[in-house]
Amino acid sequence: MARFALSTLLLLVFLTSALQAEDMRTWTDTQGREVEAKLVGFQQEIVVLQMKNGQEVRFPVTKLSEKDRGYVRENAPIDRRTAARQIDQMVWERLKEANLEIKQERAAVLANKALDSAERNKQLARLAHMEKMTHPTAPMTDEQFLRRIYLDIAGRIPTYEEARDFLRNPNKNKRAVLINQLIQSEAFVSHFFNYYSDLLRIRDGISMGGFNNLKSGAYVDWVKDQVRNDRPWNEFVTEMLQARGYLWENPATGYLLTDYGMELCNLSNTFTTFLGTEITCAQCHDHPFEDVYQMDFYRMAAFFGNLDFKKTPGKEKMASINAAKKKFSQQAKKAEKNANDVNSLLDAYAMYIGDGAENQIRLPFDYQYDDGEPNGKVSPAAYFGDIIDLEKYGTPREAFADWATSEKNPRFTVNVVNRLWKHVFGIAQIEPVYNIPGHLDGQAQNYELLKFLESLMKEVDYSVKDFLTILYSTQTYQREACHASPTLDMIDKGEFHFPAPVLRRMSAEQLWDSFVAMSVAKPEASSRQRRVLEPYKEIMATDWSKIDFAQAERLRGRFNNLGNPAVMMTESGKKAQGPVMIRASEMRLPNGVGSFLYAFGQSDKKFIENSNTDGTIPQVMLLLNGSMTNQILTAKSRSVVQAAQAEDSHDEGIDVVFLSILSRRPAPQDRDYAESLVRGGQGSAADYSDLIWALLNSHEFMFIQ
Amino acid sequence: MKKELLSLDPLSRRHFAEKTAAAAFGLSLMPSMDEAMAATTTAGKAKHVIYIYMGGGMTHLDTFDPKPGAETQGQTGTVSTGVAGIELSEYMPDLAKRFKDIAVVRSLTQKTGAHGGASYWMQTGYQETPAIRHPNMGGWAQKALGKMHPQLPDTIYVGGGGPGSGFLGASYAPLPIGDPSKGLPNSKAPVKKPRMDERLAALEGFNQSFLDKYQTEDVQAYSQFYDNTLDFLKGKDLDVFDLSKEKKEKRDAYGNGFGQGLLLAKRLVKTGVRFVRVTNGGWDMHGDLWNRGPGKINGFSKGIATLIDDLKAEGLFDETLIVLTTEFGRTPKINARGGRDHHPRCFSAMLAGGGIQGGQVYGETDDKAISVKEDPVTPQDFSATIATALGLPLEKRIFAPNGRPFFVANGGEPIMPFFS
Repeated sequence: MARFALSTLLLLVFLTSALQAEDMRTWTDTQGREVEAKLVGFQQEIVVLQMKNGQEVRFPVTKLSEKDRGYVRENAPIDRRTAARQIDQMVWERLKEANLEIKQERAAVLANKALDSAERNKQLARLAHMEKMTHPTAPMTDEQFLRRIYLDIAGRIPTYEEARDFLRNPNKNKRAVLINQLIQSEAFVSHFFNYYSDLLRIRDGISMGGFNNLKSGAYVDWVKDQVRNDRPWNEFVTEMLQARGYLWENPATGYLLTDYGMELCNLSNTFTTFLGTEITCAQCHDHPFEDVYQMDFYRMAAFFGNLDFKKTPGKEKMASINAAKKKFSQQAKKAEKNANDVNSLLDAYAMYIGDGAENQIRLPFDYQYDDGEPNGKVSPAAYFGDIIDLEKYGTPREAFADWATSEKNPRFTVNVVNRLWKHVFGIAQIEPVYNIPGHLDGQAQNYELLKFLESLMKEVDYSVKDFLTILYSTQTYQREACHASPTLDMIDKGEFHFPAPVLRRMSAEQLWDSFVAMSVAKPEASSRQRRVLEPYKEIMATDWSKIDFAQAERLRGRFNNLGNPAVMMTESGKKAQGPVMIRASEMRLPNGVGSFLYAFGQSDKKFIENSNTDGTIPQVMLLLNGSMTNQILTAKSRSVVQAAQAEDSHDEGIDVVFLSILSRRPAPQDRDYAESLVRGGQGSAADYSDLIWALLNSHEFMFIQ
Repeated sequence: MKKELLSLDPLSRRHFAEKTAAAAFGLSLMPSMDEAMAATTTAGKAKHVIYIYMGGGMTHLDTFDPKPGAETQGQTGTVSTGVAGIELSEYMPDLAKRFKDIAVVRSLTQKTGAHGGASYWMQTGYQETPAIRHPNMGGWAQKALGKMHPQLPDTIYVGGGGPGSGFLGASYAPLPIGDPSKGLPNSKAPVKKPRMDERLAALEGFNQSFLDKYQTEDVQAYSQFYDNTLDFLKGKDLDVFDLSKEKKEKRDAYGNGFGQGLLLAKRLVKTGVRFVRVTNGGWDMHGDLWNRGPGKINGFSKGIATLIDDLKAEGLFDETLIVLTTEFGRTPKINARGGRDHHPRCFSAMLAGGGIQGGQVYGETDDKAISVKEDPVTPQDFSATIATALGLPLEKRIFAPNGRPFFVANGGEPIMPFFS
């Protein structure tokens, strides 16, 4: 353990603030020798210095003077590879340690004469399984890496061309290049938006706060922009919690609007999402097994007690809106029409998220503890972390946002790194992710590693892209998925130590988007088509006093069509032209009962992380007999069948099919099965369809190795 | 005490939670079901449920709770049930004739006038919150009694969606059937048999090396699902979804659309599915009620009457609980558009079969059907009545994955007169 802590410390020392090492300076080593140079790199405890003549010299950091080591500490750039190796090292140490502990436990079981043979065998079997889970799996092949990195970062399998080109590429550094390329791509925006949509319950096609005239597409656009621009996580969260204004002027208000009318629930959700803490139960009573009292809940809720969803600025504004409504009603009447629809658009002006003067939070009418009166007022206060000085802030929720997203908040950074670790490896360091305990030590799978990840996140200034890049660069990630699954008991007790990522089924969106990748040449070409924010803003900037009812009606029509989701494929109402193959993030959110995405477990977006990957009968039937499979077999725009038939030989045709669907070439035994299908009928379109059908239904297609 | 708890490991904490939940959540105040059950004879008789959901808020005045003579009654007349003082809407003579088989609740009441929240509450017994999702009654039954059908899901939704399996997870999820006349989507193989067999043989071949390498529970469960589904698709149970197997006279007797859903429900129940929900939507009649209402009411009344007769003929009536419910009633005051608006203060429901003692009405509204006068029934109480018919334990705690305890019917009290 001591060794662990030490290595962690060393690394923390090295990974410090951003690179500002442009300047030449004088360096002194431990023997007092001096050299004029500037710092250009720092890796593996070696400092790289560039001298005036441009020559680079490498220097062990330990040979530098105390002052220079301090300078390196302050100025060294973060080296992704070093950070990734450090993670690998910590994982490896923990696996070794666990392996040793299991061996000792096995010896104890064998030595325990009191155990009957049945109990002994049970114990030994459990330990054997646990021991197996301390052995890292084999490093991934390029084919395995290619498929998983596409699914994990781009959210879909690679297209045939992408797969072919990567596998042909002789560059030794091609994995790092691909990670970087994918994380900067529009495909990542789509995939990571799906993650946020699941986490933040971002829905579209459903009015926000029950108001049809609040187009949540504006919020959707904004969140995608945050992903695209790699907005630091802490700023992203802060902006949502502090957001004020109209949705179309400040779409970050979408987060608070999501729970309009349910402010207490919003607080619970905020804690779960951003602080990894489930406090819902404290809404009605003291938490039964955590140190959270009902009073704590209401004190926290009081931070949002001034929140006012109808804080329309200025009486004049409302008066002019009302005058316009009256005018439209009169004009509509003359035209023998109804102005309700147009006027309801103007009602959206009442939804201005602001802060009132009075805190509305009261204790419940049946408050039962003696530290407060039923229906009594409560003042905002945090029950953990820093004490908040409200005087310093304009509104209590500004104070809350500052407290919640502070580097010093004991849960904010841990929460996000824990969630992202789960996003990458399938299981979090602390499970469940919404129940980060007050004392981390002993609860996390690997305490040192978690603390390291926490400091790393601060180090990269909460850049989600940088953080993910480091995780994807680890050898721990670049291993074949675990061959067995850890038991729930192991996860619960923190006894799974990441010999590799766990094997996962594709999410509904990954599966859909993979079908897209198989049927169109440029799967992301359609993204950003449905921008809502700009036209929404434009419509709402209208001077209503200057237009007549007919013009207003036209605007209303335009508004209604804003961001209309593309035609969806539903099982009940098949469209004549077949499913529209666009990324899931561009479709209606959620996609609704009866849709492909629904069948495969897309979240209903009503609850945090409510998607699932459990198997169901409709899923199997969809793949066996459904129109999506058929779509791939018969796609006109880009047919795997046609591509296969275009090749000179059956062998090459089969290669094309395998690369298009499984992102790999067939193994010898695969080729036998494939040939039995294809040669049997001399490579007709029907034969290739049979092969494609079989691969689409294979476990290898569905699971991410 | 709470400080000490922090030092316990997570499992112990969970265990502790189970032990203390009763005290912490005030459960000691709940009535003992044992006492209540001891006095009954027919509780727990139901093995299946056909749950008819009137989506949009069914008008109570024009169906189960007419107020002849009241100014709020509108154009709807009444028909005698054969029991003195109990009348139903004139549009439902078929159910009135079978009144001895049905039990009517006239005193349902809840607090939300929004469709989503109200229908969620009625069907789960819990009010909707963004923090957790509660299961429907089919899910609760499967949790308490175990899986019933070997291949088909225990809960099947015909003709529309509703609350899912909530925190119980996907293995409790309802199977949605959109249009009952079209059968189960994607149940027909895309190619003919010898070719399908070739495909399946190749699939098995491709899967082998993967299955050898990855022996995780997820993969095994997924294989199991594939095998089950293939068995099911080959087996005779698939026919259950094919209504063309029924005689034309019987299909006609059930009526179009919704009626075909009832027929499918009966077929599913007969094949061993526990909980079938059939949706009858379009009740949100804010206008034009007397053009749209009478035919619709007459149709569902006829369909349900046929269902009762059919279940009896099959010997399934006593073990099949028919439930008819909705999210709220409609305002007694008739609005300017000739319709009625949302009215959660009082509304009606119906139960039949499955050990329910028919020929009775529970609860009473005032003389204008504005509010409940006697024996109010909450969504929880209504859920508890269904649970009691199925013999589900109302006092058993079920823990959601987040560690919070829940109860079937959320502490509601069953309508015990229905079981005597």
